[in-house]
Amino acid sequence: MKMHLYLICNRFEALVASQLEPDAFGAYMATGPLRQTTGEGEVLFIEIDEDRIGEPFDIEWARQHCVPHSDGSPKRSKYLSIYRVLEHIPMDAYGQLYMTTRDGRVLGIDHTDEEIPDNDGNSVNMYMELSPIKPLVVSSLGPADFIRFLTDFENPIHVPKLFMADMLVDMDEDGRLAAYLPYPNQEHIEECLRQVTSSGRRKATKTVNRNPAHGGFFRTIRRGFFLGNREKVLYYPFPDKATLDEHHHKWWRSASLG
Amino acid sequence: MPRIPYFPRLLSEGASMKAFLLLLILLVLPQLAAGQDAGVAEGLYEADPARTLPWWWFFAPLSALLALLSAFLFYRGIMKRSEGNERMQEIASYVRQGAYAYLRRQYYVVGIFFAVVFLLLLLISLGLNVQHYLVAFAFLTGGFFSGLAGFFGMKTATSSAARTACAAEKSLDGGLRIAFRAGSVMGLTVVGLALLDNTMWFLYLYLVHHQLLGVEPMNLETIAMVMLCFGIGASSQALFARVGGGIFTKAADVGADLVGKVEAGIPEDDPRNPATIADNVGDNVGDVAGMGADLYESYAGAILAASALGVAAAVNMGHGVDTVFAFMVAPAMLAAVGIAASVIGILTVRGREDASMGALLKTLDRGVHVAAVLVIIGAVGVVWALGLPWSVLFAIIIGLMLGIVIGKGTERATAAEYRPTRTIAEQSSTGPATLIIAGIAEGMLSVWIPILAVCGGMLVAFGISGGFTDVLAGLYGIGIAAVGMLSTLGLTLATDAYGPVSDNAGGIAEMTDMPKHVRERTDMLDALGNTTAAIGKGFAIGSAALTALALLASYVEAVRIGMHREVAAAYVAPAEDQPYAVRDLGYGKFGIYLPGASGHVDSRKHFTLSAFESPGEHTRLVEVTHGRRAGETVELFIAETGSQARLAGLEDAEGNSLAARRAMLKDFMHYFDVTLTNPRVLVGVFLGVLMVFLFSSLTMMAVGRAASAMVSEVRRQFREKPGIMLGTDKPDYARCVAISTAGAQREMVLPAVLALCVPILTGLLLGVGGVMGLLVGTLTAGFAVAVFMANAGGAWDNAKKYVEAGNLGGKGSEAHKATVVGDTVGDPFKDTSGPSLNILIKLTSIVSIVVAGLIVKYSPMVSQFLGMG
Repeated sequence: MKMHLYLICNRFEALVASQLEPDAFGAYMATGPLRQTTGEGEVLFIEIDEDRIGEPFDIEWARQHCVPHSDGSPKRSKYLSIYRVLEHIPMDAYGQLYMTTRDGRVLGIDHTDEEIPDNDGNSVNMYMELSPIKPLVVSSLGPADFIRFLTDFENPIHVPKLFMADMLVDMDEDGRLAAYLPYPNQEHIEECLRQVTSSGRRKATKTVNRNPAHGGFFRTIRRGFFLGNREKVLYYPFPDKATLDEHHHKWWRSASLG
Repeated sequence: MPRIPYFPRLLSEGASMKAFLLLLILLVLPQLAAGQDAGVAEGLYEADPARTLPWWWFFAPLSALLALLSAFLFYRGIMKRSEGNERMQEIASYVRQGAYAYLRRQYYVVGIFFAVVFLLLLLISLGLNVQHYLVAFAFLTGGFFSGLAGFFGMKTATSSAARTACAAEKSLDGGLRIAFRAGSVMGLTVVGLALLDNTMWFLYLYLVHHQLLGVEPMNLETIAMVMLCFGIGASSQALFARVGGGIFTKAADVGADLVGKVEAGIPEDDPRNPATIADNVGDNVGDVAGMGADLYESYAGAILAASALGVAAAVNMGHGVDTVFAFMVAPAMLAAVGIAASVIGILTVRGREDASMGALLKTLDRGVHVAAVLVIIGAVGVVWALGLPWSVLFAIIIGLMLGIVIGKGTERATAAEYRPTRTIAEQSSTGPATLIIAGIAEGMLSVWIPILAVCGGMLVAFGISGGFTDVLAGLYGIGIAAVGMLSTLGLTLATDAYGPVSDNAGGIAEMTDMPKHVRERTDMLDALGNTTAAIGKGFAIGSAALTALALLASYVEAVRIGMHREVAAAYVAPAEDQPYAVRDLGYGKFGIYLPGASGHVDSRKHFTLSAFESPGEHTRLVEVTHGRRAGETVELFIAETGSQARLAGLEDAEGNSLAARRAMLKDFMHYFDVTLTNPRVLVGVFLGVLMVFLFSSLTMMAVGRAASAMVSEVRRQFREKPGIMLGTDKPDYARCVAISTAGAQREMVLPAVLALCVPILTGLLLGVGGVMGLLVGTLTAGFAVAVFMANAGGAWDNAKKYVEAGNLGGKGSEAHKATVVGDTVGDPFKDTSGPSLNILIKLTSIVSIVVAGLIVKYSPMVSQFLGMG
């Protein structure tokens, strides 16, 4: 059985070796082997190319331990690392991103060579940082600029690498957040957006929530996911709703809490 | 006509209805074929064995047969359609098997219950002489036909869901037609069987019974009152179908939602959820079989009550037999017109391919409006042909309008387009507590429309029928309004029963991964079903209240007949030199007997006048010849006169005709002291209110317990079979269905016993006044609480849907979580306790009517024993 390397990159960081294919691994991570009917929420993981992962991880050890069980069933998970994983995986080792719903439906998306979108008409963006830090922030910077900004070593507040999602901040005619957005404490988000908009270049980013809730997470994704550092940013475009409903109906139904 | 001594035995042995009906037809047809006078029956009060029926009366049974034939043709048309691929058939078969498993279990419990009650009815009729023995047999046919309607409705609905989904693949109209015609099968079967039961019994009692058994023919008053008691069969069946169905459906729904959706994050109608099939079965059990039995009871009850009131009113007005007959059969004739109108209305329902939700709703509305207009036109013909006062027509129109007003009131209280539901939804942003408070408050407020509508309708129907000068005429107007409201039931029930079919069709489309355009179409059909279901609930409650009102009005007539039955059973022959004997039966009750009675109870009562002692303007002075007060001259009201007694021209001590005037409603009220200053009446009112809350509590706790069992089972399956979530293992759907079924059957026993026993115990302890108080308390509180629960539950449900549509944060928001809590609380409100109260208010009335004789006879003894006077 083939061994896969998966980087779990929301809620916690972990590099996991597994003999499960991505669909089965996602379902396993979301629902568990002995489900106690308490969902652990959505799971995001990226397949890692073991040939490009480099020195810091003991792949040989993983190969030795990630073997089928005595009954012949595949090894579901063998953890290789659970701390500062993201920063040590080279950018060219990241493969498909798999989005797993609470009930274990999995959808994989590839990063694209397309140009990374900039502000796309929105003067202010909202990003859900997923790894290694987890705050919800609003920023006047486009996704790539924001990642470069936050991974800039000259910046006193920085991380080596960042994985984040671009979130919807659609406004209605009254200048309020659109009614379909499930964010709690919307007045605060609106206030943060106003502050960033009105401050010009003086205040490019503002933290909205240091530990945000993920309610209705997948249906609030705007353009997709971004992963990168100062040198390189990968863009995982999120399919539009029509495509999701047409081609990935079951996943979208679970993801949108149908 | 040959006598058939083994005929009752055939019935008691449960011979098939087919044989029974065949026998009736064989007995009746020769008379009709002989070309006897087809005019209005003559010699109604004579022992004339050769009665005939006017030709137009046959329109009623023919309409019933038309309904059944239409239902059969619709069913056959549906069954010819494809049920889709193998997977669709598999899912549909799970639901069907679950539904049958539920019905089998329910019919088993109901069978035991019916056997016990049948014996009790035989005991109080043959043993205690306080009821007619045929009530026991009619109890069986009423329950049987109601159960049969439920079975056909369920069979059609569960066979149609996959076919609807399959037809929706080709066109929206195709799906709509199958789902709606499946609902129509339920609607038409209910009205067809109810009217057939009614007309066949009338045919039997009016034409066959006396010939078959060689007894005196029953007069119309007796027939009307005996038939009124027939409603208890339908009521008992409705009790089990509604209460059991309500518990089943919500146990499954809450279990499926709490574990499947909330805990495991599984979407609606996902085959991985072990409770999803039980949930789909529950839709059919609750909204097809339960709703059908509920409305069957209302329909049958309204017709029977209006008939009884019609006879009482016409006799009281001093009309001849032709008019009495017309008043009596008018409700059945209106029902017949309603059936024809419903069939035409159903045929007008068809949708366009590009139809929007609003357009689909208009399509259904068009059918309802067409039927209503046709009923009014038909009613003009009925009133004209039967020579009824035109006020009857206005009462019918009032009833039809009441149905529309209550339906619209329900829509306003529960639809997300209106303020109340929006207000509730907005409260979700501050959490579940404020949402619950808002839902309760709006639900309470919402009762004003149906209550004022019923009050207004009642007053207008009463007044327009001359009730302010002749109470019985006014009450007949109310009864006719109830029949008018229910006249198009064939169609309105079709719109209700359509809901679960389209809901299940949507579920099958999801579970079998049908293409997007099919899912969109079934979603649209489902959304339409949600709207019609909410309106249907309001209609069911409104019609139950009006029916119960008519039954309450009929109660005094039941008391009159009950008293007469007791008096007739105590017959003493007068001395040879006396024109009549007067016997003191104690507690102010007297029998006045004519000579010439045979030994048979049914014969004797036709030679009897029943009377009670009470001061008033129209009393008669007679000398008591038998009993404790023999030799005294007493002042009596004549309660009821048998047919021979009327003809005998008896006079009292002052030369006044004994039979000239029977006691009026107010005379009975006076005799039984039915006044607000009588603590028995007030206690009765309080007990009625208590019943409503107790019944609601019991049914709601039943849902809680059954849902807990379901939650545990679903958790167990997820825990023990991890492959379910991964899609590699199949859930045990049957186990969840069995848990819901067992829960429903177990939990419904206590509410059922309560509903049946309290009226009897109240009557025995508190007498007629206490029973009337109980009926008033149950009706008023029950109606208000039922509307409150249905509207609050419906509004919470739609508040959730409003948020899910993308308002206030949409799915996944805190507001959504709050509305999920509200919806879960509202589920037993709107689908278990609320609808069960419909049954309670009708069943309490019908039980009181059936045991009226028992109460009249024994409650004075109990009161005396307890030192209560």
